Parts: sequence; C-alpha cells; structure tokens
Amino acid sequence: MEIKIMRNILDRNQNKAEEVRMLIASKNVIMVNIISSPGAGKTTLLERTCEEFVPKLRIGVIEGDITTDRDARRLEKYNIPIVVINTEGGCHLDSHSISKVLPSFDLDLLDILFVENVGNLICPSQFDLGETFKIAVVSTTEGDDKPGKYPMLFREAKAVLLNKIDLIPYTNFSMNSFKEDLQNINGQVPLFEISCTRGDGLELWYKWMEDQIAVSR
Amino acid sequence: MHELKIAEDLTAIVLETAKQGNLTKVTGVNISFGQLVQIVPEIFEFAFSECVRDTLAQNASLSIEILSVRMECTICGYNFDVKENRFACNNCGSTDLKILQGKELFVKSIEGE
Repeated sequence: MEIKIMRNILDRNQNKAEEVRMLIASKNVIMVNIISSPGAGKTTLLERTCEEFVPKLRIGVIEGDITTDRDARRLEKYNIPIVVINTEGGCHLDSHSISKVLPSFDLDLLDILFVENVGNLICPSQFDLGETFKIAVVSTTEGDDKPGKYPMLFREAKAVLLNKIDLIPYTNFSMNSFKEDLQNINGQVPLFEISCTRGDGLELWYKWMEDQIAVSR
Repeated sequence: MHELKIAEDLTAIVLETAKQGNLTKVTGVNISFGQLVQIVPEIFEFAFSECVRDTLAQNASLSIEILSVRMECTICGYNFDVKENRFACNNCGSTDLKILQGKELFVKSIEGE
C-alpha cells in the first residue's frame, strides 16, 4: 500500500520561518542572515558595520556559535543587544532557534537585526531563518573557486562580500576567475570587494545597507 | 551534516503518516531532492537508517530522485535546465532568472503494510 504525501521535508522549519519573516516585517526590521565559512570575517564585518552605524541605526545581533560566546564578546563594546545561540555541534541555525530568541529583543527599537550564522557554506543556505535576505561573505584566502562549489548560497545571496582583498598578493587568488565563476552562478548579485581590517570598499557596503533600509520603508 | 537534520524531519513525517494510515511496517520511502541542495545520497541514506532504527520504518528502503536545476528567463520566458553551473538563459543570455526546480526537499510517498 502506498500513501501519497507530497510535502516539503523541512516544512516545520519553513512554516516557522514565514512566521518570523512576518513578525520582523511588521516591526519594520531588516533581518540579515550572514553566511560564510569559518574565518572569512563575519564578526570583523559586524565590528566595522557597528562602528559605522551605531548609534545612527539601531542594530541587534544574533550570534550563532557552536560552543562559545567569543564572537558576541567582540561586539559587546558597541553596547547593542546581542543574543548568542549555541548550536552544541549543529552546523547551522534554524528558524525555531531564531524564533525562541526574538522575544529577547525589543523589535520596536531595532532597524537591523544581523544574524551571524554558523561558519559553513552548505548547511545554513538550506535553512530559511525568516530573514529579509541572506548575504555571503567569502575571503580571498579561501581560494577563488567558491561560487561554483557552493552554487545554492551564491544564488540565494542578495549581496556577496569578498573580504581580505589586501591579502591577494600573498595568495594565488585570481580576481578574474572569481568574478567569472560568480557571474556564471549569479550574474545579478552585487559584489563588494572589501578588507575589513584595512577598510577598503566598506563605504560601498554601508551605502548599500542604507539603501536596503530605505527600500524596506 | 545537514543530512542528519533533514533525515530527522523526514523520519518524523514518515512515522506520523504511517500512524495515520494504520501501517504496521513501512517498506519504502520515496523522496525528491533538487540538485542545488547538495545532499550526498550515501550520507543521507546512512543518516536516515540511523533515525529509523527501532521504529516501524527500520527496514524501509529509500528511493531518492534527483531533480535538475530548471530556470525560467524573466526577459524572454525561455525554460531551460542549468548545465555546468551556468545560470544564464540559453536563448537570450540574460542572467535575470527565476528558479522553477532544483531546491526541492520533498517527500512524495511512503509504502507499507
């Protein structure tokens, strides 16, 4: 006997993600799901972004971390609301974990809620958190072949940030190969070439984020 | 690693459906994955077999259909399968595309008695 089901296996996650998306939209908050491999520079990007925007914009952060609160501690100095989700070995955040921590924020007092996902290029792109959009952060030291290897993330991302461009002279990273690869996967996505330690290219990223806020209002 | 979480959610759906259908044994589970989700079938099969251990689905065979990545050009309306990760319209070259298929994680049916 065969029983037809025809159901999304992750519909529990998807349904909760839609709830989260409606809630944050109703509060006029933009939720940005930041996805990268470990060490690409997500936390440093958040540090620079907080330095630029706090207190002009009201920022909150959800830190997805496997076991520690080290990333969150790096952001404490900006005096912004931060909640850590320890996944206890889990390789991604999901919408239920986000939903559980949202009551810790006063969403009426936020403009942007950044979610720093667990460092991983495959799993997080599969789990909708209810974010407004995803961004992908890659760094030059990881090599120039990432878009073709992880097409789902680079298709889904609303922007791609290529970090550590100051280190290119010390690597075999080819900007042309990277751009060609990204163009093949997603010819529409904006690319920001940045160095979070030296500051290159960040002005364009800040401007783009401001535009996203303006568009959402 | 995400294979395990997906296998857990699949197991919950399979057992819930089997209970509703008054099955005493699940013999087969039919699922579809889009190519973009990058599930490794061997890892998924292992994860699923661990999840269903000691349940009425413990001997169920898993049939995985892989769906191609299919896009529609929003400029000229052409539909095409993406080959070799080239996300550009085969007809007009535009990269302004809408995904029609390729992100599925779908359970189609279960078989049992």
